Amino acid sequence: MGKKKEGDKSPRNFENNRFNRSESYGDDEPNFSDDENFEDTITDEELLAEFLIHRPREEDSYEGIIVVDGAPQVGPERLEKLKGVIKKMYGKFGTIINEFYPTDEKNVTKGFIFLEYKNPSDAVDAVNATNNYKLDKQHTFLVNHYSDFEKYSNIPDEWTVPEPQEYKDQGNLHYYLLDPDAYDQYCLICSSGSTVQIWQNAAPEPTVVEERPNWTETYVRWSPLGTYMATFHARGVALWGGPKFKQIMRFSHTGVQLIDFSPCERYLVTYSPDGPSDQRRVIIWDVRTGAEKRSFSLDGVSLWPVFRWSPDDKFFARIGQDVLSVYETPSFGLLDKRSIKIPGIRDFAWSPTDNILVYWVAEDKDVPARVCLLEIPSRQEVRANNLFNVADCKIHWQKSGDYLCVKVDRYSKVKKEKNDAKYSVSFCGMYYNFEIFHMREKLIPVDSVEIKEPIHAFAWEPVGSKFAIIHGDQHSINVSFYGVKQGQPPSLLKKFEKRQCNHLFWSPTGQFIVLAGLRSMHGSLEFIDTNEFVVMNAGEHYTASDVEWDPTGRYVVTGVSSWKQKVDNGFWLWSFQGKKLKKHNIDGFCQLMWRPRPPSLLSAKQQKEIKKNLKKYTPQFESKDRMRSTRASKELIEKRCQLMKTFEEYRQKNIAAWNEAKTRRLELRNNVDTDELESDTKNVEEEEIEFLVKEEHTVIEE
Amino acid sequence: MKPLMLHGHERAITQIKYNREGDLLFSSAKDHSPNVWYSLNGERLGTFNGHSGAVWTLDIDWQTRFFMSGAADFTLRIWDCSTGTQLGNIVTRSSVRTCAFSYSGNMAVFTTDKAMGHPCEIFVVDTRNIDSSFSDNDPIMRIPISDSKVTSILWGALDETILTGHEDGTVKIWDLQSGKELAKAREHTNSVNDMQMNKDQSMFITASKDNTARLFDANNLMALKVYKTERPVNSAAISPILDHVVLGGGQEAMDVTTTSTRIGKFDSRFFHLVFEEEFGRVKGHFGPINSVAFHPDGKSYSSGGEDGYVRVHTFDQSYYEFNFDY
Repeated sequence: MGKKKEGDKSPRNFENNRFNRSESYGDDEPNFSDDENFEDTITDEELLAEFLIHRPREEDSYEGIIVVDGAPQVGPERLEKLKGVIKKMYGKFGTIINEFYPTDEKNVTKGFIFLEYKNPSDAVDAVNATNNYKLDKQHTFLVNHYSDFEKYSNIPDEWTVPEPQEYKDQGNLHYYLLDPDAYDQYCLICSSGSTVQIWQNAAPEPTVVEERPNWTETYVRWSPLGTYMATFHARGVALWGGPKFKQIMRFSHTGVQLIDFSPCERYLVTYSPDGPSDQRRVIIWDVRTGAEKRSFSLDGVSLWPVFRWSPDDKFFARIGQDVLSVYETPSFGLLDKRSIKIPGIRDFAWSPTDNILVYWVAEDKDVPARVCLLEIPSRQEVRANNLFNVADCKIHWQKSGDYLCVKVDRYSKVKKEKNDAKYSVSFCGMYYNFEIFHMREKLIPVDSVEIKEPIHAFAWEPVGSKFAIIHGDQHSINVSFYGVKQGQPPSLLKKFEKRQCNHLFWSPTGQFIVLAGLRSMHGSLEFIDTNEFVVMNAGEHYTASDVEWDPTGRYVVTGVSSWKQKVDNGFWLWSFQGKKLKKHNIDGFCQLMWRPRPPSLLSAKQQKEIKKNLKKYTPQFESKDRMRSTRASKELIEKRCQLMKTFEEYRQKNIAAWNEAKTRRLELRNNVDTDELESDTKNVEEEEIEFLVKEEHTVIEE
Repeated sequence: MKPLMLHGHERAITQIKYNREGDLLFSSAKDHSPNVWYSLNGERLGTFNGHSGAVWTLDIDWQTRFFMSGAADFTLRIWDCSTGTQLGNIVTRSSVRTCAFSYSGNMAVFTTDKAMGHPCEIFVVDTRNIDSSFSDNDPIMRIPISDSKVTSILWGALDETILTGHEDGTVKIWDLQSGKELAKAREHTNSVNDMQMNKDQSMFITASKDNTARLFDANNLMALKVYKTERPVNSAAISPILDHVVLGGGQEAMDVTTTSTRIGKFDSRFFHLVFEEEFGRVKGHFGPINSVAFHPDGKSYSSGGEDGYVRVHTFDQSYYEFNFDY
């Protein structure tokens, strides 16, 4: 680029020089012509090598030309109409300076058209956007660059085995899991979004792993197993990982706004609302190769993620009008080449562990609402449940896939009001059912829990068999815990009454839960052990907006994000028992995201074994912790000693100067010594001051 | 101990100061009458009546003979402390923002705001004879300030220099002989709201709108310490007996959107002078604190707030028992 600029400039400079010269010499222009016998020994290449690169070539002029094949073949009478269609369609990519419709001897067009754009980049856009465009049933455009002719004609007739690409070692992407102390990493977005930092939650002080300004333009995300970190840029998405957070892959999708990883991190879905064309709003990529697998043109994505993945990455599905489309990988085609027709389908969700999905269908006149469990790829309905008087359903899978809860909002009456030729429906007498599906039992029995009060939150214990509900009116909010057992309806285990909370956060390992009153409830927090249902600790992080468990369930972070409010931004670290460990007040703090961990490699039996022998291990860790904390307090005290020492040294000098200047001070204040409060004794006046001790009113006779 | 609540002002307190002995406490507010109180029991001794605008600044000479106040009515007035009568009145061309008596009490310095085409200016005046001619005498020195205006002022040791804190966060030393700038330091990023000396006048603490207070060397402006908070700091003082500093401030009144005093953080905050660690807070005001001052004996301190109250706090025994491990 730099070179080109030089090239652009130099003729102008030359002109200027000449102009100046002609000014100074008047009209006597000197003769610059070569001698007649002059022999030019220097070639142009030697003189102008850097400019010759930019010498126009014949091919250059082809770059703006595209070939549109597959166009309708029309006679002269309809040619104008075709031209109109083509102009309208291709004019939007840029200025067309030339068009050519080849015709045969009968003046019928040959079905291909040449168009030349003024700007070669417009041609690229046009090819990208309209290749494979379906004009109508019979005609699909095949659009190519004119310059491709050469490319295709040069394809050798014999196929040669492609050179295998060299294997690039990306280092151990899971290195962070090998930390001997099992410290977790977290990602911090601060400075109102412009700085991204990766920290290790080391004890007693966290250590920074990586910090980069402007690492992302909007936001970052971890992949579900924590291998990659994704950053967002105007041109697309980048993935980072490994010990030094090197760039691992790039996916170019202009204007990308939302992304979604498949659960096993094999695929990445990106969404851009204003991509170069309607064709490529949503793109699915292969994370490891960076290859584009399939693109979709979806208009107006209201729900993200659009595609929901089966837990093993084998299938992904999307909801449509009365239809559920299930696609399979790695072909990325529709499963069995057709979507599943489900009239009135409202929502669906995959089981987190099995290839089963649940969907629900709204009530329609006399047909009841239905909740169905569907096995994929067999499309077998494994369980269906009919429900009446349904206003809405919410699907909650337990993370281990053992249970499914469908929260059903039901009404006892419907009010239909007619206003402005439209029926507005309002429901009265709301009550709520929790339909619990026992996934691991034969025939999947369903139990129901009914609650008549408004529901504020519901959450499954991620591992285990309990669930928690926040319910009640605004002034008396209660939290109920239910337990699910095989062959029995769910039973109420404990009800905490009158609590300040609106959110539930289970530890990822179960048993412990944080009841949080976020935002409007001033950030009150309660840490509860659900084995004995004791409140281990209560705390408060004023105006907290976020609560995040670390992936191991050892720590909880509460944060005040600058995305929500501008003051007191920062995050606090708590132990799972609710002990406040650390306050980090950071101006412009936006978000903290723990780096996820993949599931444990230990079998359930091994984990149980460890839990059983926990007493054996605790002393080791306790002594380690103790050593660390004594080291820390020792360091702090040493630091203070050092500070005090340097400060004392500095002070000694000042005190010496102060003592030296005593006579000067006395001079200034008429020889009255005012250095100490008591030093001036001659000049003191005693004054009596009254204190009001008590006031008494006594009524003396009237 | 329960603080004494001094309620003599109708509007926000702008500055409070003890006299040298600490038996009297002076306060000025956005109403027009500065007050003087007995610091021991909070009884009001009297008021200084005469200003017709918000009183931004005040000072007392070392002998508690004269009281000086500068106000938004474009006057600097000097009063007889014992009677409350006005002795002198200098009319300026804009609001008087800061004022201070020199160590000897023979001179005083004050500054005016940049307003209505007039620059911010530093004036040094002779205060040996204060009578009706006081207002007509020419100042000893006059320094126009072309850049950021002066928002706080102090006399350097032995009346040889003047220290100024500015709206853009700079701190400067001026030579009184030549009127030249000797040194400057730009540590703060926002207005220096207040400056106070330590007992031997070798260090001073600055309070800034940039949410920090800093400790400087008074001779060479070397930055010594920084005390960080999350809210603008309006005033800061150094304990005369312990290695403690107290900071007062809080979210600015104009930024307070909710009635919650918790979010405003209108607390007095105590830091260790050397370690820069916060070790205590005193709640009470329901608006930002505009001025704090230690009693010269170090056994009590006062704070004046936007809420119009002056609170006099006497330290409990536990205050003296608390020690940092080192």
